[in-house]
Amino acid sequence: MIEFLRRLFKIKPQPKSVLTPEKVLKRKPKRWIMNLLFTIAMMAAVAYSFNKATYNEIRLRTFDISFQTMIRQLGMINWDFFFGREPWEFVDGIVFMTIQTLAIAFLGTLLGAILALPFGFLASKNIVGKHVAVFGDFLLTVIRVFPEIILAIILVKGFGMNAFAGLLTIGLHSIGMLGKLFSETIDAMDKSPLEALDAVGATTFDKIRYGIIPQVLPDLTSVALYRLDINVRSASVLGIIGAGGLGTTLLLAGDNWGWDTIGAIMIAIIVMVVTVDIVSSYLRNKLI
Amino acid sequence: MNKIALPNGKFVVKPFNKMWIVLPILVGLVVLFWQFIRMDPAFQPENIKLDQLKIILVKLFTPKGNRTWEDYFKFMLKLENPLIATLKMCFAGTIIGSLLAIPFAILSSKNIVKYPPIYWGFRTLLNLFRTIPMVVLAIIAVLFIGTGLLAGIIAITLFTFGVMSKMLYEVIETVDMNPYEALESTGANRVTAFRFAVVPQIMPIFISYLLYVFEINIRASAILAYVGAEGLGVAIKDNTLYNYDRVGATIMVLLVLVLIIQTFSGWVRRRLQ
Repeated sequence: MIEFLRRLFKIKPQPKSVLTPEKVLKRKPKRWIMNLLFTIAMMAAVAYSFNKATYNEIRLRTFDISFQTMIRQLGMINWDFFFGREPWEFVDGIVFMTIQTLAIAFLGTLLGAILALPFGFLASKNIVGKHVAVFGDFLLTVIRVFPEIILAIILVKGFGMNAFAGLLTIGLHSIGMLGKLFSETIDAMDKSPLEALDAVGATTFDKIRYGIIPQVLPDLTSVALYRLDINVRSASVLGIIGAGGLGTTLLLAGDNWGWDTIGAIMIAIIVMVVTVDIVSSYLRNKLI
Repeated sequence: MNKIALPNGKFVVKPFNKMWIVLPILVGLVVLFWQFIRMDPAFQPENIKLDQLKIILVKLFTPKGNRTWEDYFKFMLKLENPLIATLKMCFAGTIIGSLLAIPFAILSSKNIVKYPPIYWGFRTLLNLFRTIPMVVLAIIAVLFIGTGLLAGIIAITLFTFGVMSKMLYEVIETVDMNPYEALESTGANRVTAFRFAVVPQIMPIFISYLLYVFEINIRASAILAYVGAEGLGVAIKDNTLYNYDRVGATIMVLLVLVLIIQTFSGWVRRRLQ
């Protein structure tokens, strides 16, 4: 812990005198005390967090009954509703909602990646110079920090409670992270191919086409695929604000104690996320 | 065509551009997925009111009706309790979740547990657990113990546990194993060897991850209010119908909080590296 604090505040270590076993032993307890104090402080803060933590006492007392209900209902998943068959319409079914979630995440990521390109150039020192890059970086930080749900609340007002608002939310929010990673990729680019192209008399378009794109495209795609992983998770939640996907069904199921629906949605989410993870990590491994 | 004749009589074959395979697939996926967005029953032209976007932005960041700017900023001070609730939830959740993650991370790292069925088993379990979004965890917690701060703490704890255990076992696998072997050769048991050879190596990374996850949790916890937890999200949720100026004030508090934590954790992480 002492090393940690020392590094934190850049305190230089004491000049070492000749060490004797007594001195070493004398030095030892200090570190032990610091560790203990730090741990106690942390634990006290955690205990304070639990102080007056509100919960429903009656529900906690009937925990076993809730658990039995959950187990019973999880075995009664309504597969007709899951696949959107007869009494239900296909657009109400969980399969449709899951694919819609995937659609929101995929198209949102694509939109975010396209919109992030100009921002990435704006924030890279290589292209626009130091002063503009600082401004671009600040802009990206603001986009990144702006909470996703607030963006969803605003966009739902303008585009209605539908999947398109979710798509725009995901797209706009992705700009922050994608733009930053894009600018880092562009900054790390090797400039010698550009000089070589200059030497053979290439035009600006040729320089972009043969000098920049082949270098940065694999990295940009891999970053976008990584963001897709994140977006699939957040797209399944945005429906709580009304922005399409699984979230709306999930919220209703939670309010109505519909364990069977919650179970079905969890299966759908797990299958979707695992599939996207496998596909995107396969593609990313191929790209690098 | 693809063969180019050079002046010296030799031929160069232009390599096949893989873009011609990737591009149609991409366009196909976009068209396919667009159908699922378009089929949303609520996606109607009359629902799209672009003028509302400007109106809501004005409503968010100016005081409502007969309220003054003074009221706008005074409301920020009233957010003290929800702010503390957010911090409590995220702090307790991050610490407990990270501590829970340590044994699971050790059990799923290749270089400590040298028995594939164990570490693959734990990894698969953790991977499946990590796919469940924080909101789903919160809904389940609320069904079991009711709405309130505790449900939020439990949801954040479980979420942190999932994220942290994965990051931690990846770190444990990259440590230098020579000190560990040296300690074992002097007769130390595996716990002692781990404590004195591996822990000092992973401690700075663990702390920086702790701050990173704390940052994620603060940002993500706002949505937990919609399913019954507490925190700043409650102030947003309760005011979204009539008091947009209060939502705006809450957003600003949240933004400042996230910026402060981000700056602080960035500073600590830079020092630790």
